[in-house]
Amino acid sequence: MSEPVIICQNLKFAYPGQEGYALNGINLTVGKGEFLSVIGHNGSGKSTLARLFNGLLTANEGKITVFGKDVSLRENIAEIRRHVGIVFQNPDNQTVASIVEDDVAFGPENLGVEREEIGRRIEWALSAVGMEKFRTATPSRLSGGQKQRIAVAGVLAVKPDVLILDESTAMLDPRGRREVIDVVRRLNKEEGMTIILITHFMDEALLADRTIVLNKGEIALEGTPDKIFENGDALETFNLRLPEISVICQNLRAAGMEIGNDLTPSRLAEDILKNLHSRGIFSAQTGKPKSAQIISDHLWDIDIKNLSYTYSKKSPFATNALKGVNLHIDDGEFFGIIGHTGSGKSTLIQHLNALIKLPQAEKRYHKPKAKKGVVPPPEPSVTIGKFNLADKKTDFKALRASVGMVFQYPEYQLFAETVFADVAFGLKNFNKNLTDEEIEAAVKSSVEIVGLNYEEVKDKSPFDLSGGQKRRVAIAGVIVTKPHILVLDEPAAGLDPKGKKEIMELLHKLHEEWCKTVIIVSHDMDEVAENCTRAAVISEGRVFDCAVCADLFARESELRALGLDVPLTVKISSLLAENGIAVQSDCTAKDFTSKVIGIYGGANA
Amino acid sequence: MLNDVTFGQYYPGKSFLHRADPRTKLLALIAFIVLLFVSNNFYSLLACAALLFLAILLSRLPLGSVLRSIKGIIFILVLTSVLNLFFHGGERLLFQWKFIKIYLEGVVFTVFLVLRLFFLVMASSVLTLTTTPVSLTDGIESLLKPLKYIKFPVHELALIMSIALRFIPTLIDETNRIISAQKARGADFESGNIFKRIKAIVPILIPLLISAFRRAEELGDAMDARCYTGSKNRTKYKKLHFGARDAAVFAAFAVLIAGVVLLNIYAAQIFPQIYEYLRLSR
Repeated sequence: MSEPVIICQNLKFAYPGQEGYALNGINLTVGKGEFLSVIGHNGSGKSTLARLFNGLLTANEGKITVFGKDVSLRENIAEIRRHVGIVFQNPDNQTVASIVEDDVAFGPENLGVEREEIGRRIEWALSAVGMEKFRTATPSRLSGGQKQRIAVAGVLAVKPDVLILDESTAMLDPRGRREVIDVVRRLNKEEGMTIILITHFMDEALLADRTIVLNKGEIALEGTPDKIFENGDALETFNLRLPEISVICQNLRAAGMEIGNDLTPSRLAEDILKNLHSRGIFSAQTGKPKSAQIISDHLWDIDIKNLSYTYSKKSPFATNALKGVNLHIDDGEFFGIIGHTGSGKSTLIQHLNALIKLPQAEKRYHKPKAKKGVVPPPEPSVTIGKFNLADKKTDFKALRASVGMVFQYPEYQLFAETVFADVAFGLKNFNKNLTDEEIEAAVKSSVEIVGLNYEEVKDKSPFDLSGGQKRRVAIAGVIVTKPHILVLDEPAAGLDPKGKKEIMELLHKLHEEWCKTVIIVSHDMDEVAENCTRAAVISEGRVFDCAVCADLFARESELRALGLDVPLTVKISSLLAENGIAVQSDCTAKDFTSKVIGIYGGANA
Repeated sequence: MLNDVTFGQYYPGKSFLHRADPRTKLLALIAFIVLLFVSNNFYSLLACAALLFLAILLSRLPLGSVLRSIKGIIFILVLTSVLNLFFHGGERLLFQWKFIKIYLEGVVFTVFLVLRLFFLVMASSVLTLTTTPVSLTDGIESLLKPLKYIKFPVHELALIMSIALRFIPTLIDETNRIISAQKARGADFESGNIFKRIKAIVPILIPLLISAFRRAEELGDAMDARCYTGSKNRTKYKKLHFGARDAAVFAAFAVLIAGVVLLNIYAAQIFPQIYEYLRLSR
């Protein structure tokens, strides 16, 4: 190994007032120029470790040395922080100034760097993250990925030798994640910067030279990513999951194919082709996937026509969020809405329960007078079941009780003293005549269906629960009114891999037993492909396409041109198709794998 | 509710006034206000108004945006006008009805007062319309710098102001999100009596406070991690520079100050007949 920059010896740390160690006996050496990824479930101690490395926290036992300096000595802290920079999770909470260059200047200013040199550093740091054009921009008007790149630049301007990213991509959409990860890889390769990447995304962890898996404050596994991701069962016990691609590899191997531990779609496609070629299969075609039949009585169909919306109308900052959206969602669907941050998808779903009302439904609406020679724009309309949202007289309260809306990070909206009171809040708002028994019964059943123990949590403060539990309570607080339609904005955002899987399982359960229609807004293509029957792609305020997943993702090149990703299976399929093997799957890993095996096994017969 | 995500009154532009140094503009506003109150006759007031309208022309702001600022003080204007009109004594009685007496001096004084307040508010809004809150903060910090020598925490104050400005849009977004989320759960913020409405705010306020504290904590960590140790040995990247524009502004003000002083002294001798009518009682 190259010269060590960080050495931890038997590191132990406990948060005051909490039982047990958050970190319990960590021994770790990070080499100069290394790219290390750290994965582990929520609460495994990943972030604690990052904070110990630059003295934001102080270890109870053990020793950390950074560039030969002991972190536990106060006089070393200033110098250590100059060497070790951290980029945190939420880009909004690390920006100090309202102008990009002022924010990047903050670090060097603190170090007393001279003005001219600060100017040079700003230039260098911004170009390192590809944001030189935004030098005088306002961070709050940038996208998540751009904001986070500014945060990276702010840390780079201090000229650290080690860059720690503490779940810095967790709150970003795929484009933003890609932007940040590209920057980090380039810094590692070109500038030789040591990188410690803490992440929940297995596909990011794969990019490192070395990966460590933390479990309950201890290093459970350590090694190169392909070694780590060989063993799915072990990861599962640490509340992690194999990356999707490793699962496909495993299943193909189980079917007798010779597949290495491929971690990129192109290597996997090559391996599959090699196997097929060895059996003399050079071209093949599978049947089209069966499209899932939805038995629907169409009582609660959602129909949107000509929907447009402009923020800050008549001001210099007016932005068109929606530009003529037409969309129909059948009663009973598990529907996906895909789009970047800022594509208009949040504006769209807020129309579904009249949080944003159609102009005709506003109290003071006057029909615009027709001008001569100007064709008036078509009137927008939204109907949901029997509710006409363009009508002033519609009972919007009843509508909201029927269309449940779970916002992003819903746990941040909890407020009551007990879980019971928080869940009952919506119920009491919508129906003032319920008896205590009725309320209790409804709260109990909704807390139970989200997978919590009612007796255990009902009197607890929601703020004392774990992150995953809080989110469940927040969902219970929405479904307690038994809505027909449940809309969720990024329901799995920020959760660890196991938490994500559990939330998706919960949504399927709700879809079967509780709410007829479930609509999820997501920017994770694999999540949509695995879970939704149909999906719509929203781009720049318009519906790009709305179709079953297989047809939607078949337009791969167009989606990529919009800056969107496609599911993993589509990536592999298209590489195979270039070589004569046409696998038409419904985009789920399961269907894809079985079809590949079908082609492979088919040659046996 | 909180629909407008834009903050402050800043009206983007690249005019002469937009580019002038914020310190110049701040000092000019202070000087202007002082001159308004020093003016004791309509001629002086007219001189101030001339400079104000020159400034508005140079700022290329739509006149409407400047006039709109008056909306906020209309109530005060009407109230003081009525009081002055009815209770200002004088010699030349214009109108009498029972105990209500209106004198010419009262009318003149009321007009004078209203104009003065008008100009004051318009001038302040020219400043806020042409200056971003950020450069305003920079300007204030720079002007307060001498107070460092009496141990006044100028840097800390400026940092607090700039962080507050930085987080206003973020917190407005957050508030909107929480309001939407609670509305989706049937919360009603628009009806009921005052007590009901105050109670209805709790589901917004608590999540907002919790999140503000969480943000503060994270921001603190991020600042520590970026080597923040207070104002000691700190340099500042942004330096404000006075330029030709600022010299022009100062020159204009020198002329105005001289003008107001002279007019204050010699007002009675300019068009004496008119002056006699517009004389403010003393």
